[in-house]
Amino acid sequence: MATSELLQERRHVGKRYTGLTNRELVAGKGTFVSDIQLPGMAYMAVLRSPHAHARIISIDSSGAEALSGVLYVMTGREAQEHMKPIPEAWNTREIGAKGVDWYALAPERVRYVGEAVAAVVADDKFTAYQALDLIEVEYEVLPAVVDPEDAMEPTSFLVEPEWKDNILVTRDFHRGDVERALAEAEHVASGMVRSERITGVSLEPRGSVAQYDSFRDELVLWESTQNPHPLRTFLAETLEIPETRIRVIQPNVGGAFGLKQPPFQEQPLIAYLARKLRRPIKWIEERDENFQSTGHSRDVKFYYTVAFEGDGTITAIDIKVIADVGAPTALLGWGMAFVTAYSLPTVYKIPNNRIHLFVVVTNKCPWNAYRGFGKDSASFLMDRVIDKVAHETGLDRSVVRLKNFIQPDEFPYPQSSGAVLDSGNYPAALKRVLELVDYEGFPKLQAQARREGRYLGLGIGQELTPEGCAMPGAVMISAYDGATVRVAPSGDVTVLTGVTSPGCGNETAMAQIAAEFLGCEIGRIRVIQGDTETCPYGLGNYSSRATMYGGSAVQIAATDLREKLLRVAARMLEVDPGDLDAGDGHVSVRGAPDRFVAFDQVVNQIYRHTFGEFAEGEEPGLEATRYFRMGNIYHQPEKQGRFSNYPAWPNGTAACVVEVDPETGQVKILRYCLVDDAGTIVNPLLAVANLHGGITQGIGSAVYEQLAYDSDGQLKTATLMDYTIPTAVELPLFEIEHQETPSPFTPLGTKGIGESGVGAALGALCSAVENAFPELELRLDELPLTPSRVWRAIQDARAAGDVR
Amino acid sequence: MRVPIRVTVNGEPRQLEIDTRMILAEMLREELRLTGVHIGCATGNCGACTVMLDGRTVKSCCVLAADVDGQEIKTVEALSSGMDDLHPIQEAFVENQGLQCGFCTPAMILATLALLDENPNPTEEEIRHGIAGNLCRCTGYHFIVKSIQDAARRLAAASPE
Repeated sequence: MATSELLQERRHVGKRYTGLTNRELVAGKGTFVSDIQLPGMAYMAVLRSPHAHARIISIDSSGAEALSGVLYVMTGREAQEHMKPIPEAWNTREIGAKGVDWYALAPERVRYVGEAVAAVVADDKFTAYQALDLIEVEYEVLPAVVDPEDAMEPTSFLVEPEWKDNILVTRDFHRGDVERALAEAEHVASGMVRSERITGVSLEPRGSVAQYDSFRDELVLWESTQNPHPLRTFLAETLEIPETRIRVIQPNVGGAFGLKQPPFQEQPLIAYLARKLRRPIKWIEERDENFQSTGHSRDVKFYYTVAFEGDGTITAIDIKVIADVGAPTALLGWGMAFVTAYSLPTVYKIPNNRIHLFVVVTNKCPWNAYRGFGKDSASFLMDRVIDKVAHETGLDRSVVRLKNFIQPDEFPYPQSSGAVLDSGNYPAALKRVLELVDYEGFPKLQAQARREGRYLGLGIGQELTPEGCAMPGAVMISAYDGATVRVAPSGDVTVLTGVTSPGCGNETAMAQIAAEFLGCEIGRIRVIQGDTETCPYGLGNYSSRATMYGGSAVQIAATDLREKLLRVAARMLEVDPGDLDAGDGHVSVRGAPDRFVAFDQVVNQIYRHTFGEFAEGEEPGLEATRYFRMGNIYHQPEKQGRFSNYPAWPNGTAACVVEVDPETGQVKILRYCLVDDAGTIVNPLLAVANLHGGITQGIGSAVYEQLAYDSDGQLKTATLMDYTIPTAVELPLFEIEHQETPSPFTPLGTKGIGESGVGAALGALCSAVENAFPELELRLDELPLTPSRVWRAIQDARAAGDVR
Repeated sequence: MRVPIRVTVNGEPRQLEIDTRMILAEMLREELRLTGVHIGCATGNCGACTVMLDGRTVKSCCVLAADVDGQEIKTVEALSSGMDDLHPIQEAFVENQGLQCGFCTPAMILATLALLDENPNPTEEEIRHGIAGNLCRCTGYHFIVKSIQDAARRLAAASPE
């Protein structure tokens, strides 16, 4: 195909460019949603449930309404009467799971601490918050279900009284004959692996500014969101107004990591109120609201039994997954549990396997998407299993991995869930990372450190991060996206995309791809994202899809324009279009670079000499809107409800070195190496930057972060004092290399890198801490590796006297 | 209740009447439209609201606006007048990709300014401790550390000695 020809010599793709938005952001000149000020703007504050589960008996808002400066107080009854339930982001009921009607404010019952109960709009923020204190809500407190395994008991209280149990959905994926393989196995081991609840903590909280123009009949919502177009669809459905009367604009977004995917209660709420009150309104989430209600993840427990041979070959695995997804809402977070099960047994070929998933609801904050999206949990489990097998057989951890990897020539590889892994080279990445970390030389280093009284350990982690998700029936989650490339008469170029950037730099990749395929100078390109009125319809940012789908759409749109430009240039240069090359602002004859015309001259012919000799016969204009549709999505459901909804399978192997203080249980990370394979890399600088962030969030969740609930369902960690994300002090400089196994299904071979780096950190760190004490039977199968947990495990192992 | 205060902000004397409930971060953002000051937590943990108060970095969410009467405040807006006039620290962050979403960045740059003012040639460890009060969730600090090392070099090259 033409692509490979065009890319014989790449000018921009694969090159290091700093972020297009860097200069404005370092100057403090970004425009975040909280920076938007409109004349006459009022402020909204939200009253939230203080109870994990309660019936709302009555709400007396008279005191709040009487406060000077209060414009309106709204409760759940009005939401129920005047608005539709919020549409589901992850079409739960269409795939056989249970759902609920979730309103912008809870009308009758609250199911978690932080669920929205009432809203105040006032002239200013101080008055709005003062008024919240004057709203009197009478609750009948109901029993709260907090532990997922308790919730699974038939006698448990119900989170949703209409459901007959607390199970949102189950899945049972299997291949081969697990029971027989376990019964006949040479060796069998089993265990429990668990991770606590975590959340994403974008430094910028969520926020909205809504304005309604009654003369234009237009509602404008500026929102710190990842998905402007789908949000518009959700708002239209909830508010029952035409979608074309709503404009959603994404300003600069201060981090999202999945958690700014709609639909939230506050979005239709503020839109409704702005329309009703005819006043622009701002709402900026407070940090404690962010912890209580934006969404959590992880909180997953695995029970596994694995069968293996003496040489490390795994013959069977039986896995039970219990995911506590909190209260059911319209948010898509519970889908992470689905993806955990779907991704198993990750990069390994295990002839007999069974994955039994239980998605359990409780009276905790609902899950919402967070970087890793369940793939991290799957990778973590498999790392723990592999290390267990290594421990039991006495084989090296790397040997057991190499023994069981799907091999590079075995793709496409179908897993039992219906997943079809596209490509990869897992052995090469592992071998390379072991070189990077000096695996061979480590025992000597370790022994030397031990003589100095220091406990060093080396860990290996293997991640598989399926990307580019497409869910049948979901408006927001699909494997396509659009882009418009527009060349102005001046030769300046605008690229408009349906994908968005939450602050990770994909706009820079868009400019690189456009410059590459259009042939213009990269400095001529302006990228515009995140406005439903100006950008082509698209699904925004999630599942590491922006460069993979948005970039591919830019590529095919730019290629359309390039072909027109080359036809015109060919007439100007009196050669065949096939003999031309375009790049960096020139169209030249291949092999005769002194025969060229400037990009602008060709553009000039198309716009100003439309009826002249060179542009004759060409359709006027230089603008193309194209959509890229991913090739390897298979939605026709198979047996067991299986389908292949992830087309790209980036992966990576991490190796880290830690120092553990046995007296305090403190874990210090000394080195962290990653060999990452996300297919073709468009911008190595920004790709590595993304990996740094992914690794750090993985490390944070593995060592420092935990959302703790008490037995009443009260969140005990709702500040950044209690929920401690890594600071600069906890981290080393990272050592990263790329391995590029291109996707066979995207034109450039891109696969998505946005979530890479998270998953391998979990297993790598557990593995490293265990490795620091080779003399002990130390097992660290639960996250996070807090000092108390590590210290306790060391004490227990020592007490057990398991000195080998 | 509103009270009058006099402050010098980015070199300019200002007289303001402010709500006594208002924190310094809000005063700078709402009253003076210095929106390079960001509020990430309002509990003094994230550091996104860091500004210089009488030459020292403070978390401006933890200072009441009414309490800064007579004091001198510097925000990131003081460092550059436009895209082509960035401070060497800002240039270092641009070139080393010491940012992603940019929300923590203005504060991180002020923390760097304070650090390098005190210690023009910090070690990696000193840099990490110098910015420990400023959280970043995107970068893992790798390129921030590199940016600060580069900023130190740029400032040293620009200084008269």
